[in-house]
Amino acid sequence: MQQSALNNNDSIHRYLNDLRRYLARLAPHESQEVIREIESHLFDVIEQQEAAGNSADVVAILRGFGEPRQLAAQYIAHIEEGAPPPRGFKAIQSMKKSATATLYFAMAVFGFSTAMCLLFIAGAKFLLPESVGVWSTPHGNSIVVGFVSVPPMAMPEVMGWWIVPAAAILALAVALLTRKVLSVLKQHM
Amino acid sequence: MNPNDALMEKWEVQLRKGTLELAILAALQQRTLYGLELLKLLQSLPSTTITEGTLYPLMDRLKRDELVDAQWVQEGDSRPRKYYQLTALGAQKLTDLTQLWRQSVTDIEFLLANPGPQPLQMKGV
Repeated sequence: MQQSALNNNDSIHRYLNDLRRYLARLAPHESQEVIREIESHLFDVIEQQEAAGNSADVVAILRGFGEPRQLAAQYIAHIEEGAPPPRGFKAIQSMKKSATATLYFAMAVFGFSTAMCLLFIAGAKFLLPESVGVWSTPHGNSIVVGFVSVPPMAMPEVMGWWIVPAAAILALAVALLTRKVLSVLKQHM
Repeated sequence: MNPNDALMEKWEVQLRKGTLELAILAALQQRTLYGLELLKLLQSLPSTTITEGTLYPLMDRLKRDELVDAQWVQEGDSRPRKYYQLTALGAQKLTDLTQLWRQSVTDIEFLLANPGPQPLQMKGV
């Protein structure tokens, strides 16, 4: 009997702790209020069941409340949604959707083509070593990067063969960053 | 489950959902109840049975909409309980919803009471 009471308390505390975690978006006093009310309900029911001579079935009682995450979702729904959607909301929504889609494809084209250019520069260095590089004036107030037909004579090349790994690494970084941004955008589509 | 049962259940869920707010406001007419009492009352009626997980978040919403008020009350040795009561706004909403509900029941009863093959009956004509 005592053992089962301990187990009951354990499952209740675990449930309420989970719930508190999922209610984190509420103000602390609001979340406290929710927990307090549910706690009061749970112990009331247990007491009543025990007073009636039954052992309390905490699992069944908690089942009535549902998973902590789903229960919490109902309490924070008003924060997530804000005010109820006004008339014409659907049109706004679909415009927003197509704007996001445009942004998504523009980002994909821009990011991956930048990465491809960088890879191309790295590869071209092997074929045309004289035409690919980074040139800078001695005082650094002018810089030419990339693939030129006639190397700028007045400016010394500064990177040499280092441009190959540097461009390759940068290409990889740009590609990864693009993928990351796209996956974030995708969630909003 | 045959498809008809599934349809019936769907309809029942919709009906319950639509009338739940009215049921709660009606339960709190001129009395205060705490969550567990309210739950037991609603669960004692076949068409208003709901779970804890539906009731409490709904009470939270009604409170935010200022249709109900709540106070913690402690009586004797019992643990504190949160009691709900209607606000003036809640009482007004109850009146409005009651009117809509009764109108709806009257209309549907009228349709049910006037089957074919008798000629079409228009109410009040």
